[in-house]
Amino acid sequence: MKKMFTLLMVLALVLCAVTSVFAEDITLDVIICQYGPNTTNWFERGGDGMFGSNFVEAFEEANPGIKLNLEVVSWNDVHQVVDTRIANGNAPDILNLDTFSEFLPDDLLLPVDEYTTDELFEDFFPAFMEDFYVDGEYWAVPDLASARALYYNVDILEEAGVEVPATWEELEDAAQAIIDYYDGEIYPWGIDMTTDEGQAAFAYYTWGNGGGFTDEDGEWALNSDENVEAIEYAIGLVNAGYTNPNPATQTRYDLQDMFATGKLAMMIGPNQIPTYVEDKGGDINMATASLPANEGETSASVGVKDVMMAFRDDSVEDQDARNEAISAFMTFFYDPENYVGWVSMEDFLPAVNSAVEALVESDPSFAAWLDVLANCKFYPTSKAEWAQVRQGVTTVEQNALTGADVRAELDALQAEITGM
Amino acid sequence: MKRYPEIKKQNLRNTALLLLGLILTLVLMSLPLYTFEIGVYTKKSPNTFVGDEKYIEAKAEAEAAAADYRAQGFDVEVSESVLERTNSKGKTTSLVTFTVNERTGKNFWSFLGKDLPSSKTLTGILILMGLSPVFAAVGLAGSLDLLHRYLDTRSKIFRTLLIAVLLLAILLIPVFILQNNVTFSRQLSLYNAELVTEGKEAFFARLDDFLFDGQMGADISDILSGLKIEHSPLVWLMIPTLFISLLAAFSIRRGEIQSSLLKLCLYVFVIIVCVITLYPYYVMLITAFRSNAESLDMYFLHMFPTKWIWSNLTDIIHRGVPRFLLNSLFVAGGATALAMLCGIPAAYALARMNFKGKKIFLGYVIMSQMFSPVVLLIGISQLMTTLHLNNTLWGLMLINAAFNQAFAIWLLRGTFVSISPEMEQAALIDGCGTIGALTKVLIPMAAPGIVTALIFVFINAWNEYTVATILISTAQYRPITVGITQFSSFNMIEWQYMFAASLLATIPVVILFMFIEKHLTAGLTSGGVKG
Amino acid sequence: MNRHKWEPYLWLLPSTLLVSVFVLFPILIVFKLSFSEISQAGVVGGFIGFDNYVEAINLPAFKTVMLNTLWWVLSVVILSTILGFIIALVLNQKFHGRKIARSILVFPWATSLVIQASVWNYIIKYEYGNLNNVLLNLGIIKQAINFRSSYQVEFIWECWVGIFVTVPFVTFCVLSGLQSIDVSLYEAATMDGAGFWHKLRHITLPLVKPSLTVSTVLNIIYVFNSFPIVYTMTKGAPAHKTDTMITYLYMLSFYERKKGPATALSVIGFLILCLCAGIYMMTVMRKEEEL
Repeated sequence: MKKMFTLLMVLALVLCAVTSVFAEDITLDVIICQYGPNTTNWFERGGDGMFGSNFVEAFEEANPGIKLNLEVVSWNDVHQVVDTRIANGNAPDILNLDTFSEFLPDDLLLPVDEYTTDELFEDFFPAFMEDFYVDGEYWAVPDLASARALYYNVDILEEAGVEVPATWEELEDAAQAIIDYYDGEIYPWGIDMTTDEGQAAFAYYTWGNGGGFTDEDGEWALNSDENVEAIEYAIGLVNAGYTNPNPATQTRYDLQDMFATGKLAMMIGPNQIPTYVEDKGGDINMATASLPANEGETSASVGVKDVMMAFRDDSVEDQDARNEAISAFMTFFYDPENYVGWVSMEDFLPAVNSAVEALVESDPSFAAWLDVLANCKFYPTSKAEWAQVRQGVTTVEQNALTGADVRAELDALQAEITGM
Repeated sequence: MKRYPEIKKQNLRNTALLLLGLILTLVLMSLPLYTFEIGVYTKKSPNTFVGDEKYIEAKAEAEAAAADYRAQGFDVEVSESVLERTNSKGKTTSLVTFTVNERTGKNFWSFLGKDLPSSKTLTGILILMGLSPVFAAVGLAGSLDLLHRYLDTRSKIFRTLLIAVLLLAILLIPVFILQNNVTFSRQLSLYNAELVTEGKEAFFARLDDFLFDGQMGADISDILSGLKIEHSPLVWLMIPTLFISLLAAFSIRRGEIQSSLLKLCLYVFVIIVCVITLYPYYVMLITAFRSNAESLDMYFLHMFPTKWIWSNLTDIIHRGVPRFLLNSLFVAGGATALAMLCGIPAAYALARMNFKGKKIFLGYVIMSQMFSPVVLLIGISQLMTTLHLNNTLWGLMLINAAFNQAFAIWLLRGTFVSISPEMEQAALIDGCGTIGALTKVLIPMAAPGIVTALIFVFINAWNEYTVATILISTAQYRPITVGITQFSSFNMIEWQYMFAASLLATIPVVILFMFIEKHLTAGLTSGGVKG
Repeated sequence: MNRHKWEPYLWLLPSTLLVSVFVLFPILIVFKLSFSEISQAGVVGGFIGFDNYVEAINLPAFKTVMLNTLWWVLSVVILSTILGFIIALVLNQKFHGRKIARSILVFPWATSLVIQASVWNYIIKYEYGNLNNVLLNLGIIKQAINFRSSYQVEFIWECWVGIFVTVPFVTFCVLSGLQSIDVSLYEAATMDGAGFWHKLRHITLPLVKPSLTVSTVLNIIYVFNSFPIVYTMTKGAPAHKTDTMITYLYMLSFYERKKGPATALSVIGFLILCLCAGIYMMTVMRKEEEL
């Protein structure tokens, strides 16, 4: 009965939201990406309150007068959902995504100072915020981060008599030794150049060779000699048979599954791997190391951070009230009481200091991750062409996998991006 | 009665052929057709060069092991292989492998009486072969003029039995070969990799008994790690040999065999088609009830889950799947009803009335099918926002009804055309209005076609995915096709939940289809042919 | 029996309304968009003529994708028509278990494409796919086979799944055609001494032709517009070499954020389909006039 009542309430509520009959209540449309199996349950109305109370109900209780129309969307569909809504002038109020720069040219975003309190603003890691500073304003805030490291199967490496590789040359030797020892039954090295994550592979190898997406001045430098060498090296690993056989379609899940079952000796992955392996019932002896780099180059840690942003909505009469509502959402979301629970449930790393303090208090080993994070390099997500670059480098890698010339491909991409 | 001498002659020849086949088979079975190479000891030494300290150490180890086996009376030999490579920077790596091998040959008889799976098959083949001369003799008895008055009427049955027995024996030979390969290479590697622990001891005891006459005892599991099995091509000669026997039996009655073989081919074809069709559903089913770990069955352990995890079902029910199913049912049901409500009158007008623009209308409706909803997403979403139907099941329902109009109208029109208009005209003359004639006469008569159209629209609406992803934003309103995506997230793909939900989504539709299958063809008949 | 002149139009009204509002309107929007400037976030700007079309045709992957689409439509439609026809001929014979066989054959038709594609994607995985598992357990192969060794092979797999889901529809269309054939025709032909092939060519084929044409035309439209199979199995990787037009314009729109060319491409696809259907409509209409 109670359920029915809730359902009716929801129905009424959505109708209200759509037809805006009750103008007194502010309704915020929020889109959150689905990070893990429990994201929906944690956020959405009607969740059974696993890992604490469900977010929407708790928020509405704490903030009478603000209603949330919160939607958890899978990563597969989120761009389609957001873009379609923007094209119809129906953009969400708050959006959680991995990039924000594509919304800048159309002036769709609300500057951060409109909706963050000073206290909250101070709380974000300054290093993270730097990337969100474009044309004199901050446009987004980080919602979480993860650091990529080299995960390796200790037993496999020991059995084959090799050390953890620190340089590219050592990596090739180790891979050959593993292939020889196990007659090719175990893949030494995991590479993921799929459409969803090709940019990560680009970062791992080019940053390990002193190259990267941009040069020192922050301009695109996709076709630098270092980059060409790095990508050729990565493709060379595939062609030599050191890796999983289908890098263009084997996603990171596939790699993680292989790693969990001992089919793959080494892979670069996010800090969730131990949890993932445990969930999948894997029983392997694993350890982490920093990513191998080319001789004479320093190993770069690769970090990924996702963002929260707010959209402009000129149709709303009372802009201040709307900004305040968004601000209330942000304050509530980043409140350690809610945020820490979420970040630890998803097994990501936090982006605010207050959460770090709370986490280190309960688990001192957590501090080690923060050192890693402090030295991480991030994708140049603040540049407007990032979306194209990200797909572009993936296409270059995939073309190279089928035999295309890396330099020619990168030259063409650089010309396309800078010519835009 | 007069033809008996001829028949006798032919049958004697056949009997001789049959005996020849049997003798040849027995001879083949006595040859050593299988060789087993048993790597009783392996030593791999990475980073080792020929002649260095590690090499000498490893070699001594291998020699000691070989001596140990020789002392036990086994004929073994030591072999070494060196894998040396130089990388691009000039650095050389080397892997040295020592193996101690024993080779033994086995003939078919040595399989008999051993407790191996293939032994049972072999026993089966032998029994069948033994039975065949008995059947042949009894079957031929009539024509050989032995007790023919009594047995002649039954001889056909015996001949058929003979053929069946020999066919079965022939088919069992590849099974026997496959079983050996599976038992000795695959099973063994699974046991060695500790992936199967149940019944391990008994399995090794059986192998020990078979390969070493039980001498190895507890050491067996170490020894067998490198077992390789090879069967000689001669094994396949069993088949033509048995085939000779079969031919002998065949020539007795040729005509019957041909027609029954044709029938057999038909069944084989149908069975193959059905197996291929059901295969993905089998995968769906077994994956749906596996544990998370077992869904990554990388070592190809089992055809079925070792433990059926029924809680997968309760888990997905807990995660909103019943709600999604209800939404889908509502959308698909509503869309079907609406498509019929609009489609039937249109089809009626197209089938029964003459008016200008008939062709234009048909063309217009067909054209509406040309765009994939994927392409129209932006347009649909804009429309729904204008109509305030975003994030409602009603909007989804309307879209589904509209996108299925073309097929519904096309099918219904065909059905209506195929029904003679006389009955309705009679009804019209009796004073029913057009609507009365339609509902009371035409619709009951066109029921099969209407059911087909109904089902078609229902299925399409039930399976629609893309429009639903952008139209529905609240979790409670998601149809099942979109609901399933929540089981693959950024961190994890939960195959077992995804397939369990897929199973729940598939079952209702499949059952519906099975009930309606008969009408389906009937409806398409009237609709399709006149289309 | 006097009917008002406007009566037929009244009967057509609900259907026309439904299609116009929910299909035609979005189509018009897409047409308009294809001539407009669209930013990478999807904000619609002013009229820019044929720029989007020019950009679409000059895309580096355009040729590959068009060729893929051609292969995809041709192979799936032709092979599933042939297979469906053969299966229908067999299922039209009388044998025990025919009803069960027919019910089983309906399964792929009744299952969502997203689900089908996910299952097949799981089946043909190299490391832990079920196909290797089954073949190994049956002893047919000794070592796991990489069923996805190159993108060409992956594309063939996609076509296979396309065929797998299309065959039932063809089968049932042909079956319905076969059932409408008068058995006495075959009997007469048998009396005249006609063989199997003769009967197939001179009785079965001509009479099943209308059903076959219909199923073929509908299949061309459905297969051309099919999205989930390619998207689920490869996402067009590597570098659009396994993309068909529909998945390519999706990737273009939402991954590469070139929305203008994407809408232009969708209009081009629409025109291609219209051409195919127009030819079909004309032939069908002509036949009807003859009747």
